[in-house]
Formats: sequence, C-alpha cells, structure tokens
Amino acid sequence: MRKVAVFLMMLSVCLLGSVPSGAIVYIDINSPGGVKIPVAVPYLLPEGEGAEKYARGISEVLGEDLTSSSIFTLIDRDAYLQEVTPQIFEPGGISFSDWKMIGADSLVLGKVSLKGNRVVAELRLYDVAVGKLLVGKIYRGPARRFDMIAHKFANEILYQYTGVKGVFDTEIAFSARKGKGKEIFITDLTGRRIKQVTSNGSINMFPRWSPDGYKLAYLSYRRGKPAIYIRDFLTGRDRLLFRTGGFKSPGCFSPDGSSLFLTLTRNGNVDIYRYIFGEEKLVRVVSGYGIEVSPSVSPDGKKLAFVSDRTGYPQIYVTSLEGGRPVRVSFAGYYSTSPSWSPRGDWIAFTSMSEGKFSIYVVRPDGSDQRLLVTGDGSCEDPSFSPDGRYVVYIYRKKGYSELRITSITGFGDRLLLRGFKEIGSPSWSPRR
Amino acid sequence: MRRALRILVMATLLAFVMAMSVSCAKRATTKGEGEMATKPEVVSSRPEIKGEKVEEIKEEVIKPEEGQVTETEMAKAEEAGREMMAKEEITFEDIHFDFDKYFIRDDAKPILEKLGKYLLENPSVKVLIEGHCDERGTNEYNMALGEKRAQAAKNYLVGLGVSPDRIDTISYGEERPLDPRHNEEAWAKNRRAHFNILR
Repeated sequence: MRKVAVFLMMLSVCLLGSVPSGAIVYIDINSPGGVKIPVAVPYLLPEGEGAEKYARGISEVLGEDLTSSSIFTLIDRDAYLQEVTPQIFEPGGISFSDWKMIGADSLVLGKVSLKGNRVVAELRLYDVAVGKLLVGKIYRGPARRFDMIAHKFANEILYQYTGVKGVFDTEIAFSARKGKGKEIFITDLTGRRIKQVTSNGSINMFPRWSPDGYKLAYLSYRRGKPAIYIRDFLTGRDRLLFRTGGFKSPGCFSPDGSSLFLTLTRNGNVDIYRYIFGEEKLVRVVSGYGIEVSPSVSPDGKKLAFVSDRTGYPQIYVTSLEGGRPVRVSFAGYYSTSPSWSPRGDWIAFTSMSEGKFSIYVVRPDGSDQRLLVTGDGSCEDPSFSPDGRYVVYIYRKKGYSELRITSITGFGDRLLLRGFKEIGSPSWSPRR
Repeated sequence: MRRALRILVMATLLAFVMAMSVSCAKRATTKGEGEMATKPEVVSSRPEIKGEKVEEIKEEVIKPEEGQVTETEMAKAEEAGREMMAKEEITFEDIHFDFDKYFIRDDAKPILEKLGKYLLENPSVKVLIEGHCDERGTNEYNMALGEKRAQAAKNYLVGLGVSPDRIDTISYGEERPLDPRHNEEAWAKNRRAHFNILR
C-alpha cells in the first residue's frame, strides 16, 4: 500500500480501426424506465499460456459492469451460437445473423495475451444490427489489474451509447466497524476489490476525495481527540490538518483542489470554514448560532450546499460563496441532512426523515423540482453522487444491519454494492482519475 | 481456584481504594465499576499506561503468602469502595436529551448543579464532557449534535461559576452507544452527556 501502484497503473491505449466521429446517442439515460440494450459478451479469446484466466475475468467484469449500469442486459453465455475462435477476428469472420438471432443488439469481442506479468487485451464493440465496429481498443496493463481494463472498456461502451463516459473505474470510500474501531475502506464498483485505508482501531470516518482522486481527507480519533487528516495515496502518508478544538469534519475539496471546506467547532460554535492550502489560511464561510455542517460545493465552485438547524431542525441550504443569504432548498421532512451536489450541477441529493423513516431525495439547486429518489422499509441515508452525476451511492440500514447501495438518478436500477460490513457510513464516490 | 479468584478481586479492590485515597491516580472516572474498564480508553491519550498499571497490581496479588488480607480488612475495603462509588455515582450521573435537541432539560439541571458544586469545591479537578447521540440520523450531523450537547452542559457549568478552562468537550456522535439495542428505550439512554472527572 506504500506506493499504491494501483492508482498509478498506466494503461497504454491504442485505437483499433476507426472510431465513429462523435458518439451515437441511442438512448437518453436520464429518461426513466428506458429500454435496456441486450448485449452479448462472450469470453475473450486467450492467446498463449496463462491468458485463459484473464480472458474469462475481463469478460465477466465487463458483463457485470454493463448490467450494473441499468442500461444493458447481458444475454446468457450459454445461448451464444457462434463460438469465439481465431477465425472470428478475420475479415467477415463475425456471423452477425447468429448474434441477431439470440436478440443481441450489441456484441463485445476480444482477445487477451500475457507478456510477463502484463496483459494485452484487444477489445471491440460491434453494433449487431448494422454489423459495424463502434469502438476498438488495445489495453496493456499489469495482469493483477485486469479488472481495470474491463472497467475502462465498459466506460467506452457506455460512451458509445449515451455520449457520456462510464464511471466503472472509479471507487467508493466508506467507513465501517472493525473490532472496537471504525476504519476507512475503499471498494471498487463490483464490491469485490476492497482496500483498507486506516487501521488504528480508533474512530475513523467521513472520507472525502480530492478532485484528482489521489488524496482522501478524513476524520480520526486516533490521538484521542478528533483530528482531520489527509491521506496522500501517492506517498502513502497522512498529513495532520486540524487537531485543536472539538467536533470537526472534512466536508469537500473545492473543485480545483486548492481548498478544503470543513466544519469546525470554535468557541462552542459549529460552523463551516474554508481551508486554503498553500496559504494555510482558514476562512469562515457559513456561521450561525446552532449547527452548520456538511458542506458540499457546486461543480463551478461558486456555491455551497450545507446543513443548518437555524429553524430548530436540520435542513439543507444553498449559499453563494460570493456573499448573500443562504436559501433553504429542502422541504421533504422536518429533518434533512447530508447534501451531495451532483458533479453535473443539476441536482442536490440529501437524506430526509418523515414518519420516522429516512429516505433519499433530490432537488434542483434553486429548491425546485424536489423528488423522492429512494426509500425502503429501513433507512436510506448519506447519498454521494458518481462523477458523471448519473448514480448515487447511499447506505441502507435497518436495526444494526447495513449495506451500500447504488441507485440511478432516474430512480431505476437500484442495486446492492456491498454487504457484510457493520455500521457502514459516509460513502464518498471518487472522481475519475 | 475460586478462592484465589476471590482474593484477587478483593486485593485488586483494596489496591484500587488505596490508590484512590492517596489520590495518586492521575485519571479516574466517576461511575460504577462496570464503567471503569471502558473509560480510560476514552480519556487517556496513552491507554497502554493504564494497561501496565493493571498488570502490576495483578502481579502483586498473585503471590499467595504475601499480604494475607484479613477478612475484616477486606470487608472494610469493600465497604469503602462501595461508599466511594455510591457517593460519586449520585453526583455524576449522565444527563439526557430529547431527539435532535441539545437544550438542557429540567431533569438534567439537578445533576449539573451537583457537578458544578463539586467542581467549585474541588478546584484542582477538571471535567471532560462526552456528547452522545442515538443511532438515528446521519453520522456527521450526529457528531455535530453530540458536540452541541457537550457544549450545552459546559455552558451550564460555566453559568454556575466553573471556569471554562476546567471543562473540555468531545463528541462521539452515535459511535459509542450505551445501549446497543434499536428501540426507543435504548435511544433515550444513548442521547446523553457523560462526565469524566480528571484529577
């Protein structure tokens, strides 16, 4: 974990053949209940010794990614009529009629070889209806990160169909109980590759990504009193940012990474501040008599959503960082917390309680168009937007049981990401790297 | 085996009482015995020291021929320990809060008055106030809420004349519930401010 090569993994990518100029937008991902595209992802062709494992692995991760997007449906591999042999890669080798017959609109073909401890994967996406190559790429990378190759190509596939790149190679940081303490973990979007960030047996919470995805600000009680640290994944080191005073919590980095919005307690007041790196300066941006907490900045860096209990109950407010009065934007219930501003800028997600139950809502930054996004028989809390603004990761918990779930912003395609951890909390979706 | 255990418990208790009366114990808590085990971890920045001390005491009492404590001595020690704990337990009970609130309730005021009086009478004593919440609501907001609860208790004590320098606060949000159950009764118990007396 010292050098965190995983983050530094460089994948050399070459274009194969011609890419269509501009993406073909077949579907509007933002319209709810859209029809899913049937896709066939046969196992890749292994070339040479040791490639078999990666051929299957990449295909499986690709299939999972596409299915999880709630845009595609994977056609069962047992149904495929044409076998993947070297001949299929020759001109005219693909029998598109065979793929059409099983209902595929889209076909992913590829081959993999192993060179030392690196894999070389050639991947191609075809439109079955017109028998045309949509995109083809060659990836070279460390064999142990074959899943990243699958994620990168899944991003490309999504781009071909929606005009926006996927987020399959991103990660989600969260906190969970481990022994007596609470530690910070990072999971990929399959929920299978999990890294532990802290291991000090104390309380560690509220991980927040820097915009480049190489740093993580978080709160830790490792020295008794709560303190804010920044983990630098490139060096593997922690930087202690704030230690003095009572409650404190990292909120979010500014979009340019030059400052950190955070909550601090000073003279008994819980207010929101901006810490400017380099200048090492602290500026108070939101204050009040009660609790001002959980800042989430707009993608243009000009506005801030936050929680305030100024009316006696916590609600979401939006304020301009250039001055002006905060405007309340949440009207879902009498208790609303944990705002997350979409990186696309169009929505703010938050948690709200009504009738003793917590649900996730979205609202426009001006307070209009409020909608219920997710609710259940337990509590749905702590939303965090994906970097493309299409998905929200959140916690589902009920009587001590907890899991991480991902839902599409359209409200369709809710799925389980992770279970098996205790007291999962404060998920934070990484940016693209 | 049983007898050895009994002697161990008694001797530990005796050692504890002696330590308390000599007032050499740097940090001690004010609640029942059950709480003693968990508190040092909270207030001490170097919990390992606490562990060593417990170890030392154990080593002393395992030698059977040494310091044969008479029954009466034991009884005295027991009684003294009980008295001390009983006395302090009344004084420093947890105070409780309403859901999502941090104002001092009327039922909390007598407890704070007692604590305030004690602090004024013992000017060398400091207090660390822990703020806690129930499990409902988001973690981050609850951390802030716990801080406000501890601050509210602090402000009340300052209002009674206790110097703010002697009062420190820490919030644990919903991270350290007293009662781990998921019902109204547990939640009411968990919405609390707890007082750690630091000598």
